[in-house]
Amino acid sequence: MIALIWYELSLLLRSHRWIAPAVLFALGVFGLGGATLRHGAGLGPGLAWSALVLVPVEAWLTRSMLTAEPAASRACVAAAGGPRRTQLAALIAPAVVGAAFGLVGILWQIFRLGVPRAAGNAIRVGELFADLGGGLAAGLVCLLVGSAVAVLLNPPVIRRSATAVLGTTGAVVLALAWNGSPANAAVRSIGYAGQERTWPAGVAMAAALGLVAVAWTISTQIAARRDG
Amino acid sequence: MRLDNVAKRYGFTLPWVIHDVTLEIPAGRLVRFEGKNGSGKSTLLRVIAGVSEPSRGSVTGRPATGYVPERFPPALPFRARDYLSHIGRIHGLTGRALASAIDTCLDRLSGRELAGVPLRDMSKGMSQKVAVAQALLPGSGLLVLDEAWTGLDVEAKAALDEAVAERLADGGSVVFVDHEPGRLGHLEAERWQLDNAQASRVPSDDSAGGETGGSEQRPGPEDTE
Repeated sequence: MIALIWYELSLLLRSHRWIAPAVLFALGVFGLGGATLRHGAGLGPGLAWSALVLVPVEAWLTRSMLTAEPAASRACVAAAGGPRRTQLAALIAPAVVGAAFGLVGILWQIFRLGVPRAAGNAIRVGELFADLGGGLAAGLVCLLVGSAVAVLLNPPVIRRSATAVLGTTGAVVLALAWNGSPANAAVRSIGYAGQERTWPAGVAMAAALGLVAVAWTISTQIAARRDG
Repeated sequence: MRLDNVAKRYGFTLPWVIHDVTLEIPAGRLVRFEGKNGSGKSTLLRVIAGVSEPSRGSVTGRPATGYVPERFPPALPFRARDYLSHIGRIHGLTGRALASAIDTCLDRLSGRELAGVPLRDMSKGMSQKVAVAQALLPGSGLLVLDEAWTGLDVEAKAALDEAVAERLADGGSVVFVDHEPGRLGHLEAERWQLDNAQASRVPSDDSAGGETGGSEQRPGPEDTE
């Protein structure tokens, strides 16, 4: 399985299809994020913003991966590694790249916003860990939601490019803006203290995991049965 | 390996591409499928190779499998050696065993100079050599060839014939489709005819029968090459 993931990851990285999502991430986190978040607002809103940007970025990375491999070369790999495991590797690879982006985002927010400090400049360790834990969890939820949305709306599930691109874009907007979305709930839970929280963070995580499990199962099932 | 009542279609409302195919491919067996264009040969080969799962029925006992598709696309962002390393690692090869398997497969097709060439820059013939090389990497087990000879030069065609004979002698099995009726004619093959989604065994004494297929009239094996 490691060899399959490594192959898919190499395909994604060497095809340069990760660059456009990386630019989107950089614009979102370093550019737009810097403009909208004031220094001193605390680490929470910064981490929430980084997590939120992961939704479209992971969706784009996943679409890039799912459209990167010509059918005939996929067939050669599937003969060697099995069609389901190969498809699973192609779903894991963009998640690995997205997770790397997410970690960069967290490091950047710590660098930019600083760690929570008490009077006398001592680091408030408990608060820092709470922020980081919340940020990691929200980032993971957003990563999973971005992946699930793209997996359900791109090949091999949806094959027509126009439908896939429009559907993915619409679903990403919905995942960000609709307050019933796990990504929206996860981000609210850490970013905007005092704002009305929709779902507790644990429920958002469970929903995201469930969504990704369903999406990945459908995609591997179709990949194993499809033609050319 | 065995196929039991294997059927395949690409959608619930679409017709069966292959239906109720039961056959056994024991070690050391060479199997040839024949039939018209669109008779389901490629689909059956994909099911045998494990690239695609059947809609019904079961495929059991498949050994390590190398598959050469009908058309191998050069549009991959790898050099030949990197690509072959990836496929070799997926087959479980590592380190020196992997490096020597790659060298052996490329040498066999006189393709050593292709190792450093990006797949994107390759001609059809060159990339077909890479396609054959990746299928030969496991060194044993099942070899599934979907018109694998197309695009190869004479030397590489002969090398593939030789690799097939060796694989059979080593107890592996080979399944193939090819538009040349005389392909691998020097080896004893079990022949199957695909027609209306059904596969039927061609009796071994019938050297050219069952060969006809609508628009695709072919000469007998003795008339070619």
